[in-house]
This record gives sequence, C-alpha cells and structure tokens, in this order.
Amino acid sequence: MPETPVEDLLRSLAPQVLGALVRRFGHFDTAEDAVQEALIAAADGWPRDGVPENPRGWLITVASRRLTDLLRRDQARIRREDTVARWTPPERWLAPPADRPPEDADDTLILLFLCCHPALTPASQIALTLRAVGGLSTAEVARAFLVPEATMTRRISRGKQRIRDSGLRFAPPIGAERADRLAAVLHVLYLIFTEGYARTAGPGLLRADLTAEAIRLARLVHRLLPDDPEVLGLLALMLLTDARAPARTGPHGELVPMAEQDRSRWRADQIAEGVALITEALPRGVVGPYQLQAAIAAVHDEAPNAAATDWAQITALYEVLLGLADNPVVALNHAVAVAMSTGARAGLALLAGLAGDARLADDPRLPAARAHLWESEGDRVAAREAYRLAAALSTNLAQQRYLNARADRLADDPPAETDGGVPG
Amino acid sequence: MKYMILLYGSQRDYDVLAGRASDRPAMSAEQVAAMHKHMETFHQTLAESGELVDARGLSEPVHARRVQVRDGAPVVTDGPYPETQEVLAGYTVVECASFDRATEIAAGLVDPGTPGAYVDVRPVLDGVEDLGG
Repeated sequence: MPETPVEDLLRSLAPQVLGALVRRFGHFDTAEDAVQEALIAAADGWPRDGVPENPRGWLITVASRRLTDLLRRDQARIRREDTVARWTPPERWLAPPADRPPEDADDTLILLFLCCHPALTPASQIALTLRAVGGLSTAEVARAFLVPEATMTRRISRGKQRIRDSGLRFAPPIGAERADRLAAVLHVLYLIFTEGYARTAGPGLLRADLTAEAIRLARLVHRLLPDDPEVLGLLALMLLTDARAPARTGPHGELVPMAEQDRSRWRADQIAEGVALITEALPRGVVGPYQLQAAIAAVHDEAPNAAATDWAQITALYEVLLGLADNPVVALNHAVAVAMSTGARAGLALLAGLAGDARLADDPRLPAARAHLWESEGDRVAAREAYRLAAALSTNLAQQRYLNARADRLADDPPAETDGGVPG
Repeated sequence: MKYMILLYGSQRDYDVLAGRASDRPAMSAEQVAAMHKHMETFHQTLAESGELVDARGLSEPVHARRVQVRDGAPVVTDGPYPETQEVLAGYTVVECASFDRATEIAAGLVDPGTPGAYVDVRPVLDGVEDLGG
C-alpha cells in the first residue's frame, strides 16, 4: 500500500499509544478497541486539519477518553473500581504520565510478547500482532490473509478474550519464560514474512506488503533488543531473502528458479545490509536456526551465479542446521547442496533416504529435487516422470506450470542443456 | 441477501491451466496472467462497491479426498471424479441488492470465449431459521 507520511506516523505510534494505555489502565482488549478508534479519527482528521504538535499525546488523550467511555458502560466494574480505589493510599492514585518517553520501547516489546502469548493459536498471534503492533486495521489484516472481515474480527476478539482469561499482567516476561516468548515473537514475524513471500502468482500485491511489514516489525524488535543474535539473524534472513524478490517471477508471474534468476535485479542494498547484520551476529556465541538460514541466504546472494556458489559452505551450514532440529525439508536442502558440491549421485543417494519420510509424502519438493538431479545426470525419462509427479502433488499453479514446462522440455528429442538448477 | 456464484471446471481444465497439454493446447503464461488480471480486477471492483463477501478458487479434483463412514470408521478415498466431469472449481459470494443484480454479477464470470460455459447463482440462507420457511 502506498504510505502517506500520516499513515507512516500513525503506524509507528500505534504500539506506543496502546502500550501506554494498557500500562496505565490495564484492560488490553478494551484498550485495543479504543486505540483503533483513535487511529481512525487521526487518519481521518490529520490529513485535513494538520498533524497536532504532540501527535502521541493527542492519540493517548483521545484513546484514553474513548477507553473511559467504554469502561464506564460497565457500571458494576465502576463500583468495583471505586471500592478498590478506597483501599489505595492517596499517593498511589496518580498513575505515571501515560506518555512518559523512556518506557515507550519497553511498552512496544511487552505488547509484542502479549500478542504472541502461547495460549493463542498462531493465526490469532499473527492477527493480533499485525493489528496491535503493526497498526493495521481489521479489514487490512483480513485482506492480507484472504479471509472475510467477519472471520478476522472473530479471530481477533477470541485472541483478546484469551489474553484476558489468561490473567497475564502487562509486564515483561522474565527468566526462561522470556526466551520462550521471544522465540514465539520471532516465529510469528517469520510466519508473517513467509505468508507474504510464498505467494508467487495471482493477486499478489497485498502479500508483498506482508513481507515489508514483517521486515519493519523485525527492525523494531532489533532496535529494542540490539544484542540478541537470533533477532539479528531473523532480520538478516528476511532482508537477504526478500532481496531476490524482483527476479523471482517472470513478466507473466511465472516462477523463475534461483539458478536462472537475473542477479542484477536483486536488491544490492538489502543484500549489503543483511550480510553486515549476519556478520555482526555470528561471532556472538550461540548460533540459532535464523542465523544459520541467514548465513546460507548470504552465501547464495553473494555468488555471481549459481555455478560459482560456495556449495561446500552451504552444505556445512545445512549440516549444523540439521543438528539443531530433525526437519525433513532441511535434510532435502542439504541433499541438494551436497549434489551441487560433490555431484548429483551423492545428492540422489541422500534423497533416496528421505523417500520413506511420511512428512514429505505429499510434498512436491522431494520429487522436484530428484527430477533436477536426474536431469543433470542425463536420465531424461526418470527426470520427466519425477517432474510430472511433482507437478501433480503441487497445489500452486505457478509451481505446476514451472514443473510441467521442465517435463515438456525433456519430452523433446534433442538433449536439452542442463544446469542442475533448483527452484529458488 | 447473500448469493453464491458457483464456477465449474474439470480436471482437464486445470491441466490446461497448469501448462499441461491434453487434447487441448496448454495455456500460455500470457493467457494465465490475463485470466488472473481479469479475476483480480473483477473482484476488486466488487470489493470497492461493497458487494464482495468472499471469493475462492478450489484446488484441482485430483487433490480431492472423498470421506465416508463405514461401520463407524472414516474411509478416505482419492478424488472420485472422472477427467471429463465438471466439478466445483471456485466460488464467489456477494451480498447485493437483488437476485437480478447477483445474476448480472455472475454473467461477468462466464468465460465469453467458451461456447456453452455457465455459472450458477444461488441465494445463501443466513441461518437455520431460514430453512423453517
């Protein structure tokens, strides 16, 4: 979406305003509604009347008033609050100023931790994060995930209800819980990114915005936690992956595998930034999966072409990644890297070992990888059949068209030029 | 009132779309892109007029699973559809002023290049009470 300066400003202020309100009044669910209404009022009024001198203060005041209105409707709650107030010593009646600047950063982070609460489903975590921290409206979140607005409204209110029921305080998690919750936050941001990136055809504009939003949020987390190496790794991974986006599809939305992409169209500034970030992260000690994936992406991005890629280094990185988790897709990518560094036969042998893995039974990536390797070995019949099988397993039209085109090419008599390319 | 517009296709239509030649030539990348463009603009217009509720395409029939229950146990078989049979390929749900307006919208989803092509439009019931009459 083309962003105006006002939209930009509102989205960066949204989590700060919500954080301030929740810290001061509690009631995450009601506060969230109140902030959305204040944002809508600002989006409507500011472009016409000008931005107020203290935009954050303005939003906090308007949202606080709205929140008070919403809370007052509940007379029983008012009575309870009066009772509690009578028990509170007078010096504690005054809450700290809601727009006290030094805590803005912490507020945003606590908000992120709250939205990525483990009691929520990933779908709810994503929806709440995009709305509360990203400042997107329910309609925008709904459009991005291609669900009706009513469905998204239900998903968001269920999420807020659950946060309320969990009785979670608005405070940063501590100790071991903090690490778990940060992992959940990073996972949610990664899911938002892949949701945007996995789309290769069709009405794709809204999805491309999701990758941009995921990168913006990852930058935010990085600013709040500059010393965490996995945060660095995730931001680097997103930048290095997204850098290839302009070359991933052809003029008609068709898929272009990494080996055949026009690398001059990759975004050089994003690659430079991602490489710098991952270079900064790796020497810090504990190496996690996001840093490893970012390091692999960096090796790809720095190679002038597919053949000149440092496949030995990629193989080694995949081996470390394999040691961290039993993941069949990582094993598959590792096999492809082995094929590229030591020969197709070694890769095919590793792929044969994955054939019985039930988790890959319906996955087109396994036959597609075998097809590419058989093709580079010159076994045109086996390659063609494997391409057809991969196309039949895929439910993505762009991917099907790519795989069918590869199969069709092998149906012709003269041996086609082989390059062992893997879909990027 | 909501109306559901039902679009049909056979496995062969999907194959043609996926770049696989059959008795008909496979669609080119340009043709597929043009079709996407048409669907995108069409639904964008409906979204702007506030009449779009939901629109989805369904995956091809070979990916269908038929689920039955025999002696209390679920029995799952692969898609039961012969290649030539037309099955539901996608749907568009609109909420608009009248059945006639829904019919007008539906006409925009009929492929003008295919003789005999059709879609169906059916009113959507809002709840179980609608069934009571």
